[in-house]
Amino acid sequence: MANFDINKYRSMFLEEAQDLFSSLEQILLEAESSGSLDDQTMQELFRDMHTLKGGAASVEYVDFTRFTHELETFLDRLRNHEFAYRPEMADFFLQSLDVMKELMLLESDGAVTPQQYDDITAASLERLQEFVAHTETTPAQNEAFGFFTEPEPQAPSAEAEGGGFGFFDDPEPAESGKKEAFGFFEQAEAPEVAKPTAASAPATPTETGKERVAKKSSMSNTIRVDLGKIENLMNNIGELVIATSMISQFVDSLTDMKLKNSFIEKMDLLERHIRELQESVMSTRMVPMEDIYAKFPKMIRDTAKKLDKNVEFNHFGDSVEIDKAMIEGLTDPLMHIIRNAIDHGIESPEVRVAEGKTEHGTLMIGAEHANGQIIISIADDGKGIDVDRVANKAVERGILSSEQLAVLGHNEKAELIFHPGLSTAEKITDVSGRGVGMDVVKNNITKLGGAVGIKTEAGKGTTITIVLPLTLAILDGLNVTIGDMTVILPLASIVESLQPTAGMIKTVGDGSEELLMLREEFIPVVRLHRYMNIPPKNDTLTEGMLIVVRGGNHKVALFVDEFRNQQQVVVKPLDKNFHNIQGVGGATVRGDGTIGLILDVLGIVDRFKYMGSEAAA
Amino acid sequence: MAKILVVDDSNMLRDMLKFALQDGGYTDVTEAADGEEGLRKAEETQYDLVITDINMPKMNGFELVQALRGKESYAKSPLIVLTTEQSDAMKAKGREAGATGWIIKPFVPEQLLQVVETVLK
Repeated sequence: MANFDINKYRSMFLEEAQDLFSSLEQILLEAESSGSLDDQTMQELFRDMHTLKGGAASVEYVDFTRFTHELETFLDRLRNHEFAYRPEMADFFLQSLDVMKELMLLESDGAVTPQQYDDITAASLERLQEFVAHTETTPAQNEAFGFFTEPEPQAPSAEAEGGGFGFFDDPEPAESGKKEAFGFFEQAEAPEVAKPTAASAPATPTETGKERVAKKSSMSNTIRVDLGKIENLMNNIGELVIATSMISQFVDSLTDMKLKNSFIEKMDLLERHIRELQESVMSTRMVPMEDIYAKFPKMIRDTAKKLDKNVEFNHFGDSVEIDKAMIEGLTDPLMHIIRNAIDHGIESPEVRVAEGKTEHGTLMIGAEHANGQIIISIADDGKGIDVDRVANKAVERGILSSEQLAVLGHNEKAELIFHPGLSTAEKITDVSGRGVGMDVVKNNITKLGGAVGIKTEAGKGTTITIVLPLTLAILDGLNVTIGDMTVILPLASIVESLQPTAGMIKTVGDGSEELLMLREEFIPVVRLHRYMNIPPKNDTLTEGMLIVVRGGNHKVALFVDEFRNQQQVVVKPLDKNFHNIQGVGGATVRGDGTIGLILDVLGIVDRFKYMGSEAAA
Repeated sequence: MAKILVVDDSNMLRDMLKFALQDGGYTDVTEAADGEEGLRKAEETQYDLVITDINMPKMNGFELVQALRGKESYAKSPLIVLTTEQSDAMKAKGREAGATGWIIKPFVPEQLLQVVETVLK
């Protein structure tokens, strides 16, 4: 007989539950801000809760089901106008969602003890009781306590008795009657009964499709695919790219020009198809930013409430798509940045009013695509960062010399908050500053191949910008040579390249620090051969090439011998043993089977961005 | 082979139903995610059995049953509703809409198959 793999369904349920929680949160947050809840929205609320309960029961999350059942029953009475809706109920339901999530988490990890259940649910159930007691018109006044749903637990007992279904074929089911878990209606009668009913069917369906409903009821012509399978597909395409470049190299070696040209033509076609294939597989991994945003309103509300602040949350770029593989790595840093903004950025209403600002602070998050990258910005209109305090602290702790400090620009000082061990929170609050600092945020973003920048203005607010590559898997690279070695430079990071004249180079300090003066801008020069310890072909800047690259808000000029061809490469992670090679961020397999190293532009920029900044000042 | 239409807004429950049905040898199972989609699919193809959830967006299970019963092609077809409760109110609504029977959720695969076999006879 059917052998359910309950774990498979559990993970499906957990996934579905996330969508339902988001939908519930959205409804409740709207209800909370408007102070009311219309019938149709109430219906939606009930249905989501009901679906959660039904799903949980099906995968045997009994405690979750039990608690959700209480809420559902209450909602049922609410939608039937047995009670009047009160504005504070939104808060109650929002709190109860947290209880549900906690139960779900516990049950997915194992069983919940009765003690745990009571502890977790007590506050919520007590509030529920109060609502019922306060509004009940025909109260059981003598009872000090009691659950209105308790007496008839349906499913389990019905099952225990052997039922679970029924037929409606006779008005008072005789045989299957008492222990039914399914039932039949009078079948012979059905058509006769049905026709008149159908004719008198109410013309207005109770539901009109609202946007979120339409979105949630993911049509059954979509399928859910394990991300691992897509990753696999992506890897195969990667191998295909490598194999194609092998053929390309072979074609290059052909001497018969006619044959060669004919080959090249077909190879172009093949390469185009592979690129299209890669793009379509990539697109299956793309999800809209709103999937990430959906997690924020509730968190922002909770955080603001805890800190007695008023925060309005705005977002844009909801439909901007991002690689699903990045979401996981991105959500935590974003949460952290947002929490920080509310905790340390946005002022209390009193302070804001005293400073002539609106009582409520504004937090805005946005996303856009630009130059093959995704730019995410998080802006608040709070008090801004006290950059001098941050900078002085950095000097105090020996992170920066006072000379270096003297030449740092305003936003560069602000960037010091990303340095490990620099947290300027005046007191460790329970909201942020739990030892996880902005340096972790930066690390996480760097792991995704991205960069973080910051702009802040005292009294006006702070904007943090995150720049991410569109994908982690394949990139367009430029082959550059340093001595005997050819390395790959990600094309997206290149700003421009030039052969410098002697007048463009300025030397500072003891002569080891060089700057490129380009249109009134001083850009640190990095001699890659020195940094990577490779004997160069030439050591004279004016005889080689300088490639200006950007990482975050900073630029450096990389000195290389020459550059070669452009190539699409499949990024392979470096083995652990090679993680700390200076300047190298990844590797790829070239067409001829050799390994190509990919330059870690962000790392290099980060390392050299302040070089020679005294002269620049 | 009996053609069965399963209507539920939960992807997981559709999958469970489909799995249980296929395990019982009913391999021709079509899914729909809400009442409207269910109705559309039922109009496009004649199914031998429709199993539908009650609480769904757009069109609920009772409305779907009622709409199908109003059609000549489904006037005598077995239409089963999935419910989490077996209250009198549910039964009254089910009967009124013209459903053939009901199955309680969470369902037991054996019972599901028992019901399916009974109505398809």
